[in-house]
Amino acid sequence: MRASVILRYVGSVMLCVSAFMLVSAVISYINNIDSGFYPLLLSALLTLTLGAFPMLFVPRATSISNKEGFSIVVGSWVLASVVGMFPYLIWGGEFTLINAWFESVSGFTATGATILNDIEQLPQGLLFYRTSTNWIGGVGVVMFALVILPSLGTSRMSLSNVELSSLARDNYRYRTQVIVRILLVVYVGLTVVTTLALKAAGVRWFDALNHAMSACATAGFSTKNASIAFYDNAIVEMILAGAMLISSIHFGLIYATFLGKKNNIFRSEVVRTYIVIVVISTLFIATSLYGADIFPTVWESLRYSFFQVVSLFTSTGYATADTNLWPPFAIVILIFVSIICACAGSTSGGIKIDRALIFCKILWARIRRQQHPNAVIRIRVDGVAQDSDLLNSVVVFIVAYLALIFMATFTNTLFGQDIMTAFTSSVACLGNVGPGFGEVGSMGNYAEIPAILKLQDSFLMLMGRLEIFGFIQLFFLKWWK
Amino acid sequence: MKGIGSRVTIGFLSIVVLLFASGVISLFELGNLSNDTETILSTSRRNLELAKDMLSCAHEHSQATIHIALFDDESQRDVCRRAMSDLEGKLAAARNEALDASRLDSLSVSVTRLREVSESYLFTPTLLTTDTLVVSKPIAINDSFAASGKKWYNEQYKVVYDDMVDQIQSFMTHIHSSLAPRAEQLNKNAYRSVAPVLISLVVMIAIVLMFYYFIRVYCVNPIVRTNQALSDFLTYRLPFNVKADLRDEFKELADNIEKLIGISRLKNS
Repeated sequence: MRASVILRYVGSVMLCVSAFMLVSAVISYINNIDSGFYPLLLSALLTLTLGAFPMLFVPRATSISNKEGFSIVVGSWVLASVVGMFPYLIWGGEFTLINAWFESVSGFTATGATILNDIEQLPQGLLFYRTSTNWIGGVGVVMFALVILPSLGTSRMSLSNVELSSLARDNYRYRTQVIVRILLVVYVGLTVVTTLALKAAGVRWFDALNHAMSACATAGFSTKNASIAFYDNAIVEMILAGAMLISSIHFGLIYATFLGKKNNIFRSEVVRTYIVIVVISTLFIATSLYGADIFPTVWESLRYSFFQVVSLFTSTGYATADTNLWPPFAIVILIFVSIICACAGSTSGGIKIDRALIFCKILWARIRRQQHPNAVIRIRVDGVAQDSDLLNSVVVFIVAYLALIFMATFTNTLFGQDIMTAFTSSVACLGNVGPGFGEVGSMGNYAEIPAILKLQDSFLMLMGRLEIFGFIQLFFLKWWK
Repeated sequence: MKGIGSRVTIGFLSIVVLLFASGVISLFELGNLSNDTETILSTSRRNLELAKDMLSCAHEHSQATIHIALFDDESQRDVCRRAMSDLEGKLAAARNEALDASRLDSLSVSVTRLREVSESYLFTPTLLTTDTLVVSKPIAINDSFAASGKKWYNEQYKVVYDDMVDQIQSFMTHIHSSLAPRAEQLNKNAYRSVAPVLISLVVMIAIVLMFYYFIRVYCVNPIVRTNQALSDFLTYRLPFNVKADLRDEFKELADNIEKLIGISRLKNS
């Protein structure tokens, strides 16, 4: 492993982060040099120096190994979170060291959990910066690294091994440069369209841009204390739900659909399963809400249940209602979708519907094998037989994922949290969802939880974003040899 | 970026520029902090002075009123008017300088009421034409005048006066209590002025460590390896081969050494 090469490419990601800090500083400057200007400007300078320094000395690598690729991706995420704290720390307010770290990790992992009690007190520049961390994190710091690194030859793909799950990677039939173009076109295009639609729906420009960036990253940072409930506008909710739904589908499939290719979202078994679950969950929750007299009309029950299902299923975490007050049946469904989350190859987190689908097929195959011991049963997704390595890795991932949730729940309860808060905060952080239930409900935040649990939750967010094993490997000495 | 010299120079310069920038921002924030502190202290001091002056004026007005109402002391009429005028002047000044002028509304009402009460009794002709009174008579001569004045003072003037004094004291208390949130704000500002330097120091430590690592890998190691290769050549006549990825001046140095070896071989042959 060449540490200097890793530093160089992590440095290039720092340069991207510093560019967004500079843009945020410009917004502060335009906004009569608000209190966020100097923190953002100084942070941009510090990050720029940190990022540019390795580039001064380390030459471009003609090839990078798989291990180096992993280290660059994980290092980028961790270091982006570290430098991402600077504007918060310098600005002060509610941001202590732990709070700034939590907010920064939550931003870059596109989780959207916050420790802020009063989001609206932040200056506009800092609000924009906060959302931009979502936007960068949403598509992955890796993508920026791929854009910046145009000459890595055949080893380019190793950078995306961590960020894109192996299932998503298999779905791609393109070279890495094409993947980058696909991500850029879909991501930027979707953000622009959502911003314009929100503006047309009556949201002011600044909020429209921020919410569009956050929705397309399926992250969930809002510029309002009440999140989307602030607008109480069905059209705004539908626009954001649309953006979240599209962003939670494999970007390659979206691109292929636009190009009219055969391999599109309408033919994808995964997307079909995903949409069916969204519809069924919405109907179940709406029925329970209407039955429990939470909302007076069927339309309102459908409206709120659809938005919350999409928000949590896509791992965004926006809120239009206090879901803590909903019936237990609705809460259980919302927790279920928070664990599963949307498609691989999108900006969402969680186990991902691809794995859940394969896991169900493995279970079904097991049952069939009990009935027909000599049968050769192949597990297929979209008609393609999956190899045993992939099936094993799916099962191992799901088991590891659930084990982590239970371990984190155990620690949370050790520090005095009630069972609902303890369990759902673990689910929400590992799945990069953001809000859970109980103290950390859709209208609550993570401000009151103990500092040590904030640290634990921030590590869960990183693990969730880096698909668990990518992050864990860094802590093994053998890895570095 | 060409040349190890320019790389090292830029490395050092970036550290200097960063330290300078963080220092400037810290100084700027410290300047703001200093100004805020000075403003808060001077405003607080000025408000206390105004409150104290208002109390003095009120006291003076009360004394003058007693002299007029009880002893019919004509010489105190001017004193009474002047004290009221001063009191109103101080109140106006306090309103102008107050951050939240609405807090002085009730005091303004009290002062106005005091003026109305005192003027309606002391400076109206009815007082002079009261049938039982002879204004110019000395106090000892006319006990009913004093009794009437005392009654008015106790029942009307003193009620309004006490209320006004309470309002002034409340204003003084408010000045003290308003310092707490401002002190908290100052505390935040103080944090803001220190944070840039602290964070810059942490970043500097990281950069210096990186600098050390890069200098070692890209400057020291090539020299050591080149020297090793040259020693091997001179001692054991091994082929001159530097086992390192050389760049910039180090590559030129290795190439030149090779040329030198080539020339010396030619001369020897």
